[in-house]
Amino acid sequence: MSIVLRVILIIASLLTILYMMRKIRQSKVQIEDSIFWVIFSVILLIISIFPGLADWLTRLLGIYSTVNFVFLLTIFILLIKLFLMTIKVSQLENKIRELTQRIAVERTVEKEKGDQ
Amino acid sequence: MKEVLIIIPAYNEEKNIARVVDNLTENYPQYDYVVINDGSKDQTAAVCRERGYHLIDLPVNLGLAGAFQTGLKYADRMGYEYAIQFDADGQHRPEFIAPMLEELQKGNDIVIASRFVTEKKPFTLRMVGSHLISFAMRLTTGKRIKDPTSGMRIFDRKMIHEFAANINYGPEPDTVSYLMKHGAKVAEVQAEMDERIEGESYLNLSRSMSYMMRMGISILLVQLFRKRTEG
Repeated sequence: MSIVLRVILIIASLLTILYMMRKIRQSKVQIEDSIFWVIFSVILLIISIFPGLADWLTRLLGIYSTVNFVFLLTIFILLIKLFLMTIKVSQLENKIRELTQRIAVERTVEKEKGDQ
Repeated sequence: MKEVLIIIPAYNEEKNIARVVDNLTENYPQYDYVVINDGSKDQTAAVCRERGYHLIDLPVNLGLAGAFQTGLKYADRMGYEYAIQFDADGQHRPEFIAPMLEELQKGNDIVIASRFVTEKKPFTLRMVGSHLISFAMRLTTGKRIKDPTSGMRIFDRKMIHEFAANINYGPEPDTVSYLMKHGAKVAEVQAEMDERIEGESYLNLSRSMSYMMRMGISILLVQLFRKRTEG
């Protein structure tokens, strides 16, 4: 990995961690949701400071350069994360639908029972 | 209305809930209680309604944190002095509520019913997580909590309000650790707990390990960055 890339990765990871911590401080995010991002940025930080491990894995997998490996890994992890988030969104929509229907139907039933 | 509200979050506990609540109403009438049905897929809510139990029925599943917070919002609205987190599976024993209350009134904010104040915590596979979490808490707060994952905890009025009003206040050891670091007084009282009789525990090996990891990271890393807005 070139020194320029390493410096960029280190700075980017640090800034990301700081930004996330700020959002946690402001109580804008649930801690368990933030843990994935904390681990992710820390791993990125570690790879940028100590590229040795990444270099070794890159050679093991037969990839041309470490940069490519970092990209591949990042994209793959993000793919999984995105899919899991899609599932979560589906569940949230489901819950909202359930709540909306419940409230509306209960209101109507109450009213009709009251009218009887 | 009494001083103490026992909050019983329940998810799929149709086989245990009657035993637990009957024990409270028959033998411990000095405390109020409320069952929070967390969107159970079984007959938990029906059982409670049939028997006239005091019930808050959540329309959707929120998980333990959401269900317990519901109970605290209720306690806050009704003006209870003390609220206690109590399991619906029969593992917690109400006889220890009195000593917990006593310890709380000595000036503490939270008191935890701990299996390991006078008894030693065994070094088994099951307890590894508990040891690690205790260690993480000791690193960040300097204080020793012997049974950090105990789900039987009593909260005073100010804590009730703080928990009810804020995000990230789950009834988990990382919240306790965070509060201790920010000045809350937490104490433990020796208690015994029973094994679960019916139904399935939510925690298997992989869930326990994932829970431990999340708690560890939360206690050691994340909780350092939070700002406390008091209730």
